[in-house]
Amino acid sequence: MRPFKFTKVNDAANAVQTVAANANSKFLAGGTNILDLMKEDVMRPDELVDVTRLNLTQIKTVSGGVNKGGVSIGGLGKNTDAANHPLIRQNFPLLTQAILAGASAQIRNMATNGGNLNQRTRCSYFYDVAMPCNKREPGTGCGALEGINRMHAVFGWSNDCVAVHPSDMCVALVALDAVVKVQGTDGAERSIPFIDYHRLPGNTPQKDNNLNQGELITAIEIPKNNFSDKSYYLKVRDRASYAFALVSVAAALEINGNKIKQARVAMGGVAHKPWRATEAEKFLTGKEATEANFKQAAEMEMKQAKPLEYNKFKVELGKRAIVRALMQAMNGGKV
Amino acid sequence: MNERIKNVGQAMNRIDGLLKVTGTATYATDYAIKNTAYAVIFKSAIAAGKIIDLDTSEAEKAAGVLAVITHKNAPKLNASGGIRGGALLQSPNIEFHGQHIGLVVAETFEQARYAARLVKVSYEKTDAKVDFEKHEKEAVTPKDKDRAEASRGDVETTFRNAEYKIEAVYDTPIEHHQPMEPHATIAVWEGEKVTLYNGSQIVNGAQNAAASTLNLKPENVRIVTPHIGGGFGSKGGQWANLILAAVAAKVVNRPVKLALTRQQMFNSVGLRQRNRQKIRLAATKDGKLTALAHETTTHCAINGEFVEPCGDCSKVMYDVPNSLISYRVVPMNIILPTYTRGPGKSTGSFALESAIDELAYQLKIDPIEFRLKNEPAKDPSNGKPWSSRAIVQCLKEGAKAFGWEKRKIEPRQNPQGNYLIGYGVAAGTYPARQRDTSATVKLTRNGSDVRSSIELAASDLGTGTHTILAQTAADALGLPINKIGVRIGDSALPPAAGSVGSVGAASFANAVNDACVKITDELIAKSGKQFFVRPTAAEMMASENINEFQTRVHAKPPADADKYSSHSFNANFAEVWVNDSTGMVKVQRFVAVTGAGKILNPKTARSQIIGGNVWGIGMALTEESILDSRWGNFVTRSFADYHVPSNLDIGSIEPIFINEEDTIPNKLGIKGIGEIGIVGVAAAVANAVFNATGKRIRELPITPDKLI
Repeated sequence: MRPFKFTKVNDAANAVQTVAANANSKFLAGGTNILDLMKEDVMRPDELVDVTRLNLTQIKTVSGGVNKGGVSIGGLGKNTDAANHPLIRQNFPLLTQAILAGASAQIRNMATNGGNLNQRTRCSYFYDVAMPCNKREPGTGCGALEGINRMHAVFGWSNDCVAVHPSDMCVALVALDAVVKVQGTDGAERSIPFIDYHRLPGNTPQKDNNLNQGELITAIEIPKNNFSDKSYYLKVRDRASYAFALVSVAAALEINGNKIKQARVAMGGVAHKPWRATEAEKFLTGKEATEANFKQAAEMEMKQAKPLEYNKFKVELGKRAIVRALMQAMNGGKV
Repeated sequence: MNERIKNVGQAMNRIDGLLKVTGTATYATDYAIKNTAYAVIFKSAIAAGKIIDLDTSEAEKAAGVLAVITHKNAPKLNASGGIRGGALLQSPNIEFHGQHIGLVVAETFEQARYAARLVKVSYEKTDAKVDFEKHEKEAVTPKDKDRAEASRGDVETTFRNAEYKIEAVYDTPIEHHQPMEPHATIAVWEGEKVTLYNGSQIVNGAQNAAASTLNLKPENVRIVTPHIGGGFGSKGGQWANLILAAVAAKVVNRPVKLALTRQQMFNSVGLRQRNRQKIRLAATKDGKLTALAHETTTHCAINGEFVEPCGDCSKVMYDVPNSLISYRVVPMNIILPTYTRGPGKSTGSFALESAIDELAYQLKIDPIEFRLKNEPAKDPSNGKPWSSRAIVQCLKEGAKAFGWEKRKIEPRQNPQGNYLIGYGVAAGTYPARQRDTSATVKLTRNGSDVRSSIELAASDLGTGTHTILAQTAADALGLPINKIGVRIGDSALPPAAGSVGSVGAASFANAVNDACVKITDELIAKSGKQFFVRPTAAEMMASENINEFQTRVHAKPPADADKYSSHSFNANFAEVWVNDSTGMVKVQRFVAVTGAGKILNPKTARSQIIGGNVWGIGMALTEESILDSRWGNFVTRSFADYHVPSNLDIGSIEPIFINEEDTIPNKLGIKGIGEIGIVGVAAAVANAVFNATGKRIRELPITPDKLI
């Protein structure tokens, strides 16, 4: 590990100023990802600003603003606490399922909610400093584009990067139209719709998201919704636990009579950002909640997929996963 | 005289259990030695070629750095001294990606790791052979005589004319051992003598290899390894890290600790090679096998041959008049493969036992019945009689315990909700052997308190060697087990075989038993008395008023052992649940029935079988090391990418042991259980997947993408 400066801060303003003042400084929260990356020499910050003492761990009902009645999840709360909080379990079981599908109990106990959003891809070319990687070192090329890209993107990739965002939690959050609350250098708070938080790689794959240097995630808000009795998070992976998704689907339905009033479908393991399946959603709105319609929605979504050499299976798997997740959602989210 | 309490055969807790759960069992890096410096290895970023220039100046200037050692300044070693896989910093040549090219020694681990990043290396690359598909056709007959072609009868004609036959190719990927304790060494020099704290499955093997490589006399090298955090073959032979620790300690004239990182383990200590196995199997209409060909193609290192014996099970499992076992190997720019749990038998049985299942299905014969129809009366490979062969019992008792009668011969007949349920069976075998081992037994008496110390250079991989030796000695000496001390894992003790090839328990326990019998004999002789009922050693110590006594034996296998064919056998039963939408597979139930002679401790034995079963399930479903053929690097170089099964992948595992008494292979009738637990497991799972889905997957692992 390269030597670095370790700075402790006691309030958010101080944290933001400290990191903003040093372009090579990073926040340290749960440390479940950045410390690994530093040991492997993938990330080389010269300063870590420890934000673990900041009081940003609360989970509470949003009392005002556009998300009034929804839930606010503290940026520095632990994943485990978010997954198991009664407000989340009762109103947003999709998020509980997604969080619990990720990592291991030990990691979820350490990892923070804001950190989950900001974790880096697990692309093995990114992780291996002997390999080219535009995300790690812009201009060196993408090792995965013509390499072993079984785990990689089928949507929205560029020739510069085919990595996927590894989070499960974020797939549920994008499906639920969450909003990321961020404290900026001027002390003001700004709100980033979840769908705009992460980026596609384009020619700047080194940028995973639209945070500016120094900006700190204070909370994630989820607006109130009517999905809680018809939602499901399905994760398909190489082993049943502690593996990143080959494909995952967050599905949520609001049914009015026998018609779908609102459908939310998002996918993980398929793109550089949590992928909102808007084609599928558009098709389903106003339709009956039948397997045939789910299949057609899945077809329409996956038609846009551009698989790579080793991940062609993700197109068929994606279709199956969308259908299965929607079926499970109709079944009340039970397995 | 009191009725003796038997310890052997009892399900007992490990005598070292308390040490382990309290963190006080000492593994290789757990010795606090004053003034220790830390070494970190750095590795090649190319797979073939040579180092043109190596700039270590920045690393040398970094804080805390004591030395940077590369091929330019490394001491001259004997590269053919028995260390596996080269990488001893003796030349600028690179033979595989991730070959050690140097090490940094510093005051702290962090300083060493940081400085290792500062070394600048330039290479001259040559074409690397890393794509097995591309180079497979260059494979040649191995030099190893044990891998020579073995044939009898006429396979070609029989197969050509057969009405019922299977010809299929089975692929198994590269796998890694990845024991929980990564390879690590502390080296401490005192003059010309060096002590190496290092996980070693064969203590004396490590001692001799280190001595020869370092140009020392064996008595000047001491290996200390009382506890080992797993090895699975990767700590059987020794790899460069052992020597480089000693070299670093010599250079900086201080004790040095060198531990490989988890990522470094993927290209430092061998691997299980990729095998492409072609099976041809023919039978008569009523299910009598007529021909069996098992032809394996694999890879080895550029300068080192190792070919795991995939055809071994095919040699002894079935009565078949026409048989061909052959091997071909292509040297490639990949680290030297090595023994990996159930070497050859685990992977070979996947091919053989899948093919048996395929042919049974073609014949519409139950696969258990098919196997029973082809039971050999004697070892078909050499005509020797079996010392014992429990395979029929394993299959029958397993079928009963598992509920095999519920299995339907046609696939996809057992859906439940979104799942397809399937049952599979596969059998396996592993040879039983005893190897030469010496042991010392010491008795000390303080009043009525008699204690014993058992001493030999055996090893305990975590399998329970300490415990089974204490059980053996307690019974043989007539002492309570808590009066037995077991000292193993030190080359200063009497030389012993290793914990390899399932020889450990038989070799160690027979030596201990012999020593205990001999010490009792000697005490009786010394007394000059005669007894109607043989007294125990402890009783003799008291009656003769002796306070200290010891003796030593050198135990060898029985003279007649070689006249027989001695093997463990097993039958594995798997129930899988395949998610029909996603292709994810769960092994819901697994029953492994094993006939492995005397089971010294059913509790530790059960753990060992479960461990083998889990790895076999991993082989079937999750484990695969993938190379990028452009660079020769492993892209699966962490536990996030290299998937061992998680608890959630596996339901219940039920090991059952057949009560088998066979004192032909050794006096105590021990066959060993280290390997047999993984043999036949992957095939049982793959056969169950076929029964569930109708899909025959011949390329492991069976990941979801292969089933959708």
